[in-house]
Amino acid sequence: MENDVTSGPSRDYALQTKGLTHIYRGVQGEVQALSDINLVVEAGKFVVIVGPSGCGKTSLLMMMAGLRQQTSGELLCLGRPMDKPDPSRVGVVFQEASLYPWLTATENVAFPLSIRGDDKAASRQRAREMLALVGLNGFEERFPHELSGGMKQRVSIARGLAQDPPVLLMDEPFAALDEQTRMTMGHELLRIWSTTSKTVVFITHSLTEAVYLADEVYVMSARPGRLIDHVEVNLPRPRTYEMMATEQFGMLRERIWQQIRMGH
Amino acid sequence: MRLWIPAIRALAVLVFFACWELFPRLGLVNPALLPTFSEVVSTLWGLLSRPKVQDSIFITAAEVLLAFAVAIPVGTILGVIIAENQYIGAIFRPILFYVFSIPKSIFLPMFILVFGISFTQKVAYAAFTTTFVVLMSAAACVESVKEEFLLVARSYGATRMQLLMRVYLPSMLPMLLEAIRIAMIFNFTGVMIAEMYASRTGIGHLIAGWGENFQMPQLFAGILLLSIIAIIFNESIRILEERFSTWRTT
Repeated sequence: MENDVTSGPSRDYALQTKGLTHIYRGVQGEVQALSDINLVVEAGKFVVIVGPSGCGKTSLLMMMAGLRQQTSGELLCLGRPMDKPDPSRVGVVFQEASLYPWLTATENVAFPLSIRGDDKAASRQRAREMLALVGLNGFEERFPHELSGGMKQRVSIARGLAQDPPVLLMDEPFAALDEQTRMTMGHELLRIWSTTSKTVVFITHSLTEAVYLADEVYVMSARPGRLIDHVEVNLPRPRTYEMMATEQFGMLRERIWQQIRMGH
Repeated sequence: MRLWIPAIRALAVLVFFACWELFPRLGLVNPALLPTFSEVVSTLWGLLSRPKVQDSIFITAAEVLLAFAVAIPVGTILGVIIAENQYIGAIFRPILFYVFSIPKSIFLPMFILVFGISFTQKVAYAAFTTTFVVLMSAAACVESVKEEFLLVARSYGATRMQLLMRVYLPSMLPMLLEAIRIAMIFNFTGVMIAEMYASRTGIGHLIAGWGENFQMPQLFAGILLLSIIAIIFNESIRILEERFSTWRTT
């Protein structure tokens, strides 16, 4: 690791981990999922964590969301630990098909607000605004099975934003989409991100997606998951599809690929 | 659905009853073995006004409902435990599958020895057979709730109660109704088998008696009556099922 994190807790960091380790205990026995993860995510940044399948990226994200507790080490979100889920700090966009099929798009987006106990009319209003933000005007009353894969993930993003958390965690949100839709959605996500000034932690196993979206990329190795590289992506914003053909893009992508290959 | 499909279906049913009426009349089948449909219907009408038959219907209904009321909660609780606790599930699930494969009717003599030929014996036997079905279905229902659905709710800070009411229940509802419907089929069958095997009362007992005494119009009247009751119950749950499962097309 070239950028080792040695400074103390800071409020400028949206997320910070020190020596984070996770050992999964199941019926089958113990599995070390994550080993000694040290990373920082500055507020307002778009950070991508990339790694091969089963490297524990999802475990890491679950801990950031307060849905799983570390075995050892420290994790701070906005200066405080995440010992339980806290939607006022962190919103999560899950892998595909996490929408409730018995709720309409609006009801799905309003779900986090109704869990919080918000007024129903205000929740619906907020949900409609979020759906408009992700470009789903006119689809408010559709059920998930009436929406395309890309639209469903737009609803998921709107749901993640509904409680207006400063940090948005995204767990391979576009993994199940076809290549074209995936590119479009990445572009859309950057647009939404630039209008909301959220901190985004985005998990993927696609190298192209990682370089295209990120300010910074953390590269993980296979089990047990360790951070093996930290890459600053200095491509200008707004990002364009043409940038993918540039030498700089190719070099960044190649560097990450080399790291993942050697990390095996 | 295309219009002609239900039309042809209705026609098929009509043809069935027409054949039932005509074949014995025309001598195509022995009328002593198969009485005509109209004779069966009028026999049924006559039977329904007899106090003995009315008592039998009442007793059978009580047995069916009581067995159901026992089997549903017991089976559900056991099924949820199996599905929710991975250790208990890992230990007992294979054993339950072995037991599930055994025909339950071979235990009927045991129930008679323990409870005697009685109301309790019918209820206990039917509840016993039904509990296994409910247990299996309940476990499957709980497992059908996708992990993501729960994660989403938990990530937004849902309480246990919110999880139950807002995620588990709506997610399981279509499958739950289907499970109840199928459990009722097993439950009804259980009571009938117990009554026909050894009993002093109940519709099953009457049907067995009519069969043994070669009273074919009465036998078919009993069959017709039970079929109507079973179909009505089944269809009412199925209508509910369809109402709650419009989203299940994914």
